[in-house]
Amino acid sequence: MRRLVGVELTRLRWRRAVQVLVAFALFVPILVFAITAWNTRSYSDAEMAEFQTQVDRDTNSIETQQSLKDCLDNPDDFGVPPGEDVQTTCEEWTLPQLDWYAFREPLNLDTERDAGSGVVVIALLAVLFALAGTTFAGHDWNTGSMSNQLLFEPRRGRVWLTKGLVVTLASGAIAAVVLAAYWTGLWVLAGARSLDPSGHSVWEGYQQGIRGTALAALCALCAYAVTMLFRSTVVTLGVLFGLSILAPILLALIAFPDNERWMPQTNIAAVMLDGTTYYGEMVCTSTTDELGNEIQECGDSTEHKLTLAGGSAYLLGLLALAAVPSVLTFRRRDVP
Amino acid sequence: MTDLVIETQGLRKEFRSRRGVRVAVQDLDLAVPAGGVHGFLGPNGSGKTTTIRMLLGLATATSGSMRLFGEPVPQRLPSVIDRVGAVVENPKFSPHFTGRQNLTLLARTIGPSGGVDAAVDQVVETVGLSGRDQDRYKAYSLGMKQRLAIAATLLKSPELLILDEPTNGLDPAGIREIRDTIRQLGESGVTVLLSSHILAEVQQVCTSATIIGNGRMLASGRVDDLIGISTSYRVAVPDPATARSVLTGAGFTLTGTDDELLVDTDRPAAVTEALGAAGIWLSELTPLRADLETVFLELTAGDQLGGAA
Repeated sequence: MRRLVGVELTRLRWRRAVQVLVAFALFVPILVFAITAWNTRSYSDAEMAEFQTQVDRDTNSIETQQSLKDCLDNPDDFGVPPGEDVQTTCEEWTLPQLDWYAFREPLNLDTERDAGSGVVVIALLAVLFALAGTTFAGHDWNTGSMSNQLLFEPRRGRVWLTKGLVVTLASGAIAAVVLAAYWTGLWVLAGARSLDPSGHSVWEGYQQGIRGTALAALCALCAYAVTMLFRSTVVTLGVLFGLSILAPILLALIAFPDNERWMPQTNIAAVMLDGTTYYGEMVCTSTTDELGNEIQECGDSTEHKLTLAGGSAYLLGLLALAAVPSVLTFRRRDVP
Repeated sequence: MTDLVIETQGLRKEFRSRRGVRVAVQDLDLAVPAGGVHGFLGPNGSGKTTTIRMLLGLATATSGSMRLFGEPVPQRLPSVIDRVGAVVENPKFSPHFTGRQNLTLLARTIGPSGGVDAAVDQVVETVGLSGRDQDRYKAYSLGMKQRLAIAATLLKSPELLILDEPTNGLDPAGIREIRDTIRQLGESGVTVLLSSHILAEVQQVCTSATIIGNGRMLASGRVDDLIGISTSYRVAVPDPATARSVLTGAGFTLTGTDDELLVDTDRPAAVTEALGAAGIWLSELTPLRADLETVFLELTAGDQLGGAA
């Protein structure tokens, strides 16, 4: 088994398409990091001075002063609440403020983790390693070299498992390195900017990295399993497209009860973010007024929490749906 | 029993599709003895490749049993696969890898005792690919691909070599080289099963052969014996017309012209006896040995077109 793992690892390493995908997996996060660093950089003194000049210029403009006068003359038209200090409120609302111009947010590790570049990098790795998994298996089928391999190792279950193991481990290892480097980079960047992130934020980032590693490895294994089942990269891409795009649309269209729970992206979010919130159906009640007309009143959508365990169980279920028929079919099918 | 390297009994393979069931191999009893080169002869689509694929575990049999080296397959295939080298249909390797990379991956799967690099070097040299082994497989000519496929089979130092149409697409020089290689392997003690529809190839190289058509076995045995099946004799006598009458009366089947009598029989002594009893003395009794093509065409009449796959 160890010998076969070595062979499959070499086969994976030598595949040019896989090499390109791994290069992307290394390069694109660097690009995302650079963009994040650029977009969250602090303003220089010269920039702040420039903004202040703009504020002063715009404050003294005829249009701004006219707006301020209108507000002071007719505060009700501007929606100034009764009892508020009209002068202060109108100045606040009509006169330009410095943060209208200096709108860039500083680096925040919690934001990057929950809705920022951390999520983007994981999604990117998941897609790239899914492509690596499918091209690795698809190549063996497309070229017919699978039959040649089976002439040297006819134990098909072992062949399936070894290839799957190699795809999973390689994807997981690269994802782990990339995500660890990414969060270390953000941590170092925050420190360099004297933002002094809390130890909790950093640890949460690494934890997300661990979950992202598992997710990327699972996507690679799932794509591999589907390709071994259908013996076609194109079909696999179609299935993944259907699962990620068409399935949510279909679930939404048929108004499946609690359908948000069963959408892939909700469960992926639960894994990436250590739980997520989704919204269920609105609760509506019907009443009849004194004239006999039916009146329907709907409240807010019900809010549900989907845990990491719930999301993981869903994704593992999808994996089982792909892997079990894949391995069973491969053990019995005629190999061209 | 153990003298047979390959043995099948009642082997059957059906392909099911929307258009119905197609029988590719039916009730095939194949017996290949150890040593020598055994031809596996049949028209295109007669079931040769399907049979080989079943033997190698690449296709499942619908019914029947198979044995390699006395071991039931596919159940015990892993225990005997290291003794079997095979090229099934066209060579199939990763096109973006070099010839050497392809061989290295396969060699590492079995872990040859002398080391992977040494084993690859040796087979590359054996098949004459030295100097081209670092080229990508997709840049190889068909002949080079065939050689690489044979090199892959030799990585195992096989006791049984199964070659399915190994000279397909080769130029005359390549065909000759491959045939010489096959002959040498057979003489060195390796059992070779040579699947082919090229009759001359089988006749030149093989010591024994099995002929199949429409998935059924039509004949099997030593090539000399198979050719002997349809041996006829040319009979020369002073009075052919009388001789024809005598032999017909004795129950022989005659062909040929009035001047040249051809008697289909496997009992030449009976011909001399019948003519001698009638006072007709032979001036010539020459066996006309059929070549394998004649036997093949007689046995597979009607199979060439539209036979089962």
